[in-house]
Amino acid sequence: MSVNPGTEVESREHVAAPMRQRDAVPVIALSKIVKRYEMGGNEVFATRGVSLVVPRGEFVAIMGTSGSGKSTLMNIIGCLDIPTSGHYRLDGVNIRDLDDRQLSQVRNEKIGFVFQGFNLLARMSALQNVELPMAYAGTKTKERRERSERALEMVGLGQRMDHYPSEMSGGQQQRVAIARAIATNPALILADEPTGNLDSTSTLDVMSMFSDLHAQGRTIVMITHEEDVAAYATRVVRLKDGVIVGDHQRIAPHARAEHLALIRATAVHLDDQELNP
Amino acid sequence: MNMFGNVVMALKGISSNWLRSLLTMLGVLIGVASVIVLLAVGTGSSESVAKSINSLGTNTLTVFSGGGSSSSTGTKIRNATLTMTDVTLISDSNNAPDVQSVSPVISTNETATYRGATYSASVIGSTSSYLPASNYNISAGRSISSADVKSHAQVVDLGASVASSLFPTGSNPLDQQIQIGSSEFTVVGLLASKGSSGLSNGDAVIIAPYTAVQDQLTGQSQSFSELLVQGKSTATLSLAQSEVESVLAAQNDTTVANLPFTVLNQASLLSTATSSSKTFTSLLGWVAAVSLLVGAIGVMNIMLVTVTERTREIGIRKAIGARKSLILSQFLIEAIVISLLGGVVGVLAGLFVARFKIDGVQPVLATYSIPLAFGVALSVGIVAGLYPAYRAASLRPIEALRYE
Ligand SMILES: Nc1ncnc2c1ncn2[C@@H]1O[C@H](COP(=O)(O)OP(=O)(O)OP(=O)(O)O)[C@@H](O)[C@H]1O
Ligand SMILES: [Mg+2]
Repeated sequence: MSVNPGTEVESREHVAAPMRQRDAVPVIALSKIVKRYEMGGNEVFATRGVSLVVPRGEFVAIMGTSGSGKSTLMNIIGCLDIPTSGHYRLDGVNIRDLDDRQLSQVRNEKIGFVFQGFNLLARMSALQNVELPMAYAGTKTKERRERSERALEMVGLGQRMDHYPSEMSGGQQQRVAIARAIATNPALILADEPTGNLDSTSTLDVMSMFSDLHAQGRTIVMITHEEDVAAYATRVVRLKDGVIVGDHQRIAPHARAEHLALIRATAVHLDDQELNP
Repeated sequence: MNMFGNVVMALKGISSNWLRSLLTMLGVLIGVASVIVLLAVGTGSSESVAKSINSLGTNTLTVFSGGGSSSSTGTKIRNATLTMTDVTLISDSNNAPDVQSVSPVISTNETATYRGATYSASVIGSTSSYLPASNYNISAGRSISSADVKSHAQVVDLGASVASSLFPTGSNPLDQQIQIGSSEFTVVGLLASKGSSGLSNGDAVIIAPYTAVQDQLTGQSQSFSELLVQGKSTATLSLAQSEVESVLAAQNDTTVANLPFTVLNQASLLSTATSSSKTFTSLLGWVAAVSLLVGAIGVMNIMLVTVTERTREIGIRKAIGARKSLILSQFLIEAIVISLLGGVVGVLAGLFVARFKIDGVQPVLATYSIPLAFGVALSVGIVAGLYPAYRAASLRPIEALRYE
């Protein structure tokens, strides 16, 4: 498909038309998700029936007080945990129908997870950490290396590929984790308080990276406590005591301008990506 | 991920905590080496027991006074003695076709003296057939002969220990006069050393014609302390034994069951000793097995700690898409490499240690001990490594990630 850079708006609609069918299936479809923990006879409900639909390309921020069930929900979305009851369709596939092996494959191919605590393997260099998911996917060594290097350059760590996590600052480690999450080109990027352990400068770095990813068409779900971090998102969902109490579609003015600029700047790139998913 | 990448990852896991890996390997190593060495010691000692019994002669019977049931019947109080008549009857091939030779034996402990040097030896009065029957070889001079027996000649063959104690090194004991008790005897031959067997010193003997021993040392008497009967072959020794028993029973007007003599079969003694030393070997084997087990528990413990410590790592790997089988194979390869290295070095260490004498026993390698020790070490290492890894890999990623 050829794209004329001079007529962005037209070409975007042109691109979007054949995608509509795929876009009709939401990336995330949660229905009455309940997660119950049993603690010495006591029942704790981390979520009490959360229903949420996230269409492709959205950047969702999940907010809420501590203990409101954000991480629990995120872990279920990321297939790291299974709900006590309720249904979850990821890209149209009911997660309950998948066995352990298929779940691994889903985590590997469809999801890029960024943790608050980074969760890098301490005994591997930045490059090796980023390569690992692709190694599990069976990507060839050469391609794996190239894509990892590109991802690390994208997060601004081109000079530190051979450093070990212990040799990097928290912000740098988080950027390695983001590189790891995006290198496999997943449909869905999940981030549990990605800036929770970072200072304001690193926070800015990380958030502009998420903006870029969003501009490239990735679906992002991010937990945050900070309103100015949530401002980067296009939608804010608020949780309280395991239920959704607020759901606002919003694009902050400054973020919207940035989005548009980025979308324009990466329009050709975006098309390439969607043609070769 | 391919096999190669998996092996590389496992090796990284091992080298990243090399001290712990080394200690685990050491546990395997010691277990394997001790099994090999202990079984080699057992085999070595049982072989040396068999050898020393063999040196007594495996195809001989020893007849001596005193039977199990003669006193219990109460009917025969008569003092049963072994006489020259018995010797003649047993020597007769019509009576005992499977007997090669019969040597009457009179034994007494005497002090031998030569120019002030003394040695307390067991003096055996017998005939010339005694030497081949009890596996003595002449190293110099000649054996006592039938003519010596007939002529009551005061001649002796000296055991190796006796000769070396009485005579200074370098001198020739042949034709020298030594004093035994209060009588003079001439040395006519020297016996080759049988080596110390641990049971008795076969070299501390003096062999003389029984007639001369009776004349000079024990006094005239028609009876012998024992008869040494040599069978035609080891295979027919039991036949020879029953022939000897029936001759003696007829001679003493009794039944074989009530025989006032004991007929000792060397071959059965050998098999008894062999089986008891086999028991000893298997006992050592059990000790070795226990040490292998202790090593195995050590391996299990370290593997358990390793895997538990790495549960978070397993969680991270699962979260980014590692399949359970992949995590398992990684830990499996680690366990195999560690147990394999420990096992190989353990075998080498065992082979090395088994080359040296341990407590006077020259270990003899039991071939089966190598695959045995190695196999046990390997399987224990694998099970020990795999079980906790299986448990960790079966956790949901979030459970593994939360693990502290
Ligand atoms: N493994 C667990 N066992 C028992 N209870 C749990 C477990 N995990 C979470 N909970 C409970 O579930 C509730 C929601 O926890 P969750 O971690 O989802 O909160 P959160 O919104 O992420 O909080 P925070 O902002 O502090 O990270 C809490 O009350 C917590 O105590
Ligand atoms: Mg949380």
